[in-house]
Amino acid sequence: MKTTARIVVPIVFVVAISLLLQGHNLPGGGFIGGVLTTGAFALIYVAHGLDYLEVGVLGRDVEPGAGVFEHRTVTAYERAFILGLAIAIGSGFAALLFGEPFLSQTYEIVHDVPIYHEIELATALVFDVGVYLVVVGGLLTILSVVGAE
Amino acid sequence: MSVLLAAVVGGLFAIGTFLILRRDLVKVVLGVAVLTQGANVYLITMGGIEPGSFDTVPVLATHGDYVPDTADPLVQALVLTAIVISFGTTALALALTYRAYQENETMDVHQWR
Amino acid sequence: MAPDLSVITVAVALPFVAAAATPLLHRALGERTGFAGAVVALASFGLLLTQVGERGAVSFVWVPSLDVAARFYVDGWALLFALLASGIGALVFAYSRSYMHGDEHLARYYATLLAFMGSILGVALAADLVLVFLFWELTSVASFVLIGHHTDSDASRYSARMAMVVTVGGGLCLLAGLLVLAVAADPALGERTFDLSAMIASADAMEAALRERGLFVPALALFGVAAGAKSAQVPLHFWLPNAMVAPTPVSAFLHSATMVKVGIYFVGRLRPLLLSPEWTYLFATVGLLTMTVGAVLAVAATDVKQLLAYSTASHLGLMVAAFGFENAYGAEAGSFHLLSHAAFKAALFLVAGIVAHEAGTRHIDSLSGLWRDLPVTAAIAGVTALSMAGIPPFSGFYSKELLFEAAYELAHYDGGLTWVFPVTAVIASVFTVVYSLRFLSIFLGDRPADADPVHRAPALLVAPPAVLALVTAVVSVSPGVAVDAIVQSAVDATAVGDAELHVGLPDHVSPPVVMSAISIGVGAAAYGVGDRLRAGIGAATDRDPLGANWWYDRLLNGAEAASARVSPLIHDGSLRTYVSWSVTAAAALALLGYAATVAGLPPVGRTVPPTMALVLAVAGVAAVSVMVAPSHVAEVLTLSILGFMVAIFYILASAPDLALTQLVVETLVLLIFLLVIEQLPAFYGDIPRGVLARDAAVSLFVGVTVFLTVLLAGREATAEPTAVARYYATEAVPQGGGTNVVNVILVDFRGFDTLGEIVVIAVAAISVLVLIIMRNRGETQ
Repeated sequence: MKTTARIVVPIVFVVAISLLLQGHNLPGGGFIGGVLTTGAFALIYVAHGLDYLEVGVLGRDVEPGAGVFEHRTVTAYERAFILGLAIAIGSGFAALLFGEPFLSQTYEIVHDVPIYHEIELATALVFDVGVYLVVVGGLLTILSVVGAE
Repeated sequence: MSVLLAAVVGGLFAIGTFLILRRDLVKVVLGVAVLTQGANVYLITMGGIEPGSFDTVPVLATHGDYVPDTADPLVQALVLTAIVISFGTTALALALTYRAYQENETMDVHQWR
Repeated sequence: MAPDLSVITVAVALPFVAAAATPLLHRALGERTGFAGAVVALASFGLLLTQVGERGAVSFVWVPSLDVAARFYVDGWALLFALLASGIGALVFAYSRSYMHGDEHLARYYATLLAFMGSILGVALAADLVLVFLFWELTSVASFVLIGHHTDSDASRYSARMAMVVTVGGGLCLLAGLLVLAVAADPALGERTFDLSAMIASADAMEAALRERGLFVPALALFGVAAGAKSAQVPLHFWLPNAMVAPTPVSAFLHSATMVKVGIYFVGRLRPLLLSPEWTYLFATVGLLTMTVGAVLAVAATDVKQLLAYSTASHLGLMVAAFGFENAYGAEAGSFHLLSHAAFKAALFLVAGIVAHEAGTRHIDSLSGLWRDLPVTAAIAGVTALSMAGIPPFSGFYSKELLFEAAYELAHYDGGLTWVFPVTAVIASVFTVVYSLRFLSIFLGDRPADADPVHRAPALLVAPPAVLALVTAVVSVSPGVAVDAIVQSAVDATAVGDAELHVGLPDHVSPPVVMSAISIGVGAAAYGVGDRLRAGIGAATDRDPLGANWWYDRLLNGAEAASARVSPLIHDGSLRTYVSWSVTAAAALALLGYAATVAGLPPVGRTVPPTMALVLAVAGVAAVSVMVAPSHVAEVLTLSILGFMVAIFYILASAPDLALTQLVVETLVLLIFLLVIEQLPAFYGDIPRGVLARDAAVSLFVGVTVFLTVLLAGREATAEPTAVARYYATEAVPQGGGTNVVNVILVDFRGFDTLGEIVVIAVAAISVLVLIIMRNRGETQ
């Protein structure tokens, strides 16, 4: 189980991020990337337990007996969905600055980039990153809090 | 519209309703989950079901001018958000169930009036 | 020349802004807030004065795609009403400063009064039907708050609720009527619009369209009920006398001069649109009936304000009846009386307030000889009460003369039963003379020996009614001044065809003159036997089924009792009951909707591909297993199977995004269910067979409904894509710059919806956190 997690989790993360980034043109997007990332975290929890991220990955000590809310990871999840909401709403207000209605999106195709030759930059991606962060943060908060019980 | 499809959606709704009417709270939550699946499939059928092919996937092949007749992308967008939200609400319902059990020491909906 | 939009908007908005600022003003000014209100009213009055003589519609488009606009329509009729409201408003605010001295809730009082004035101006000037309805209901709400000003008094609350039920109920009829008009505007004007001015401009086409659909009489009836409820017409008159528990300035302002005239105003407004024989029968009958009943009840009243309230109902009846008559005299009588009645009745209420304030009682029998102590007030009362009685040469005489003219004209041409109209008008006028003299009697004669000393009224209380009495006097002496200033243009707006208003003392004997002479003569004679008359009326009306109050109470109590019996049936705190009722009702409504609109089952279309059929079949089996599974773990696992099958279904239905999401979410759902269920005991209650049968029936009903709706509403695969789907697919690249149409819809076209959805997720996460934190802090029951 732990070995599987060790191999699978990085792959899932990469896939999730790529799904997020290419979501505008291929299957994917903030919602899918978000749930997939959550799935990867869930795999870590099932394999290693809640404290693994703190102790095993970041090398911090966890106070024994502290409640789930003292977990820095949980705080990080909370921050993630708050940040995500802020990004999504902020990207909406950014459109107002250019005199467009709330949440208008636009895109620009950048040419002459090495390797890719041309890259499409869509402002929608910013909004999608917001969606991604909310989904990851929100679902992980729920999962870790319920899981800790 | 296919009778089988309609029958399955109808069956999902009926079973979901039946589960919601039970006294066991976990069954109620399960019933909500079944209803959600039924509703999602219902929405998809409203967009029309046809045998899948390369053209019907609402991801366009090119940035070009040709746009094939895709499956209805709007219902898919609706269902996509519905799936993620249903997870959030199911989790919330479960957390509530758990708390309610701790408070009342029973899973019987009828004893909570 | 077109009216000025900004002036009109400011005049209507100013009172509302002032109402919002009243709490602050009251903190700074204390009781002098009344003067601030008077200044606001005068400002609106002044602004509107600059528009006199204008005629036309101005609009400020709000949501062009839905044809929602703030439209104002200005003509003589609108301006007459708006000027009366703001002018009398200014006087009432000044009067309130002194009258409401020492009241605890002044901020609320002034704020409501200001908001009310703004709403009245809104009703008068709005040309958009939605706006008319909005302001109409706002006046009802303001009236509710003001009648219930003394919140600790039972009578106050009872009357406020009664006024609310009647006037808001009438408002609902208005809404229905306005919708009927909007529906008729579709064929008549070529577009569905709420623009009243456009409807009136093509009145004939509107009437034809209404008649063609058989909606003419229903619309007329709806407006009749709406106006009757608002303007206290029989049999909906009973709330007005009860409303007299409000402070007297409120009675003067709302319940004599303005709010109760909203109904009259609207009848006048619609008159050019709906004038017809049916219109005459409805409004002339109701109006004359109210005129008579109100006058008779006013004669029997023992309280000064009660007398004035019934008299107001009676005079409102006069105006309704006047507008009911099809000839030009009708519009003239209605318009002219709107002005003269507002002036003399508001003054009389303010006089009644002074009497109650200074003499300490409003009981007519214990008041007399007040002219010694209140000479100026007595003079005011003399001018205005004689005007109310319709004694020449006071202003009420002219309007009554015009009404007689209108009624006589109709009866003269149509003959037969229509002779009832002039005869009723004369009878009502006889009683009007009687109660007017009775009102005056409190000032005449000698003071009772045992009466309390009467204080002299402060100048601030006397000045406002004095101004109104002056207006009455001017209108009485030279009615031509008022006619030229504004009444003629009001007549132009309410009459059909040309109408030249001439008022003045008669110089030869004509039928209306004879009618006036009869009513004054008989009235004066009847006053002599007033006591016996009152006793007779009292005995006749003091029986329960005759009193409208009795019907109102029975109806309300019955409704309360019925809901008390019904609500435990569907509202017993048990989840099962709620769910059963709501899903059964929803399913039944859906079926009813289809039954009403769909002719029969469509031909069954192509079957789904075999792979999809297999997947669906497995999903169905999984769902059944969820229901019959022996343990929670088995239930959750079978639920997962169902979820994965649905994911495969999404793949087959060309939805890769959904399939991906569904697969991952299903895993997470499984995980979280297992985590929680571990902690929970299984509950195996016995299910009684009856309950099982009932639940199964409900579920089957829901299932069958869904089955049918999928069959009926599902789109055939072979059908063309809907316009919406097509639009999104073709516009995804040009507008959104992405080829994944679903994602472009989510983040671009429908970005606002998606924002709402991620907020839901965030809220769910916060709720879970809070649920657990609460327990950790020990906040348990």
